[in-house]
Amino acid sequence: MAYVIASPRLGKVGDAYEPDDGVNVEALIDGGFIKSTSKSTKSDKPIKDTNEE
Amino acid sequence: MATSTYLSNPVVTINAVDMTDQCTSAVLTRVIESLESTAFGQTNRSYVGGLENSTLTVSMYNSFAASETYATLKALVGTQVTVKVKPTSAATSATNPESTLTGAFMESLPIVNGQLGALDVIDITFSAGAYSVAIA
Repeated sequence: MAYVIASPRLGKVGDAYEPDDGVNVEALIDGGFIKSTSKSTKSDKPIKDTNEE
Repeated sequence: MATSTYLSNPVVTINAVDMTDQCTSAVLTRVIESLESTAFGQTNRSYVGGLENSTLTVSMYNSFAASETYATLKALVGTQVTVKVKPTSAATSATNPESTLTGAFMESLPIVNGQLGALDVIDITFSAGAYSVAIA
């Protein structure tokens, strides 16, 4: 998971953020200090079964 | 007369977030619990060191604005937090050591501490965790 800094309290806004051990990443996201850069992946469309018997 | 002094201006970091400009007090106390080892025949009590139970208590102005006190702390109550404090904002060195409590427990978060005609100031205590100090 990749993150970018969203608050100057954490560093330069826009820079990549790599959390140290022990850092509560969820709390940083919840507080608006970092943002995840990972895009959500859409699930594949269900494959239609065309083999009709 | 003191031979070496410094202006109190500590840097406080909570869960990697620099909260220095909201803090008015930071007290880091290293504590090693004492275990009594006095035995029959002794004429004085004696103790040995037990588990470490250090604490960091910070006083902070409360703020509900973005990236401020509440935003920093709201998700940390009841969890283990890494907190850091060093005496001044100068570079970390042997004369400006940065102390860290890794995995310190934040038991409580005052939401409002309102008094007539006063700013809302809250005291937060981080307990236990592993103490370490960096000098570079």
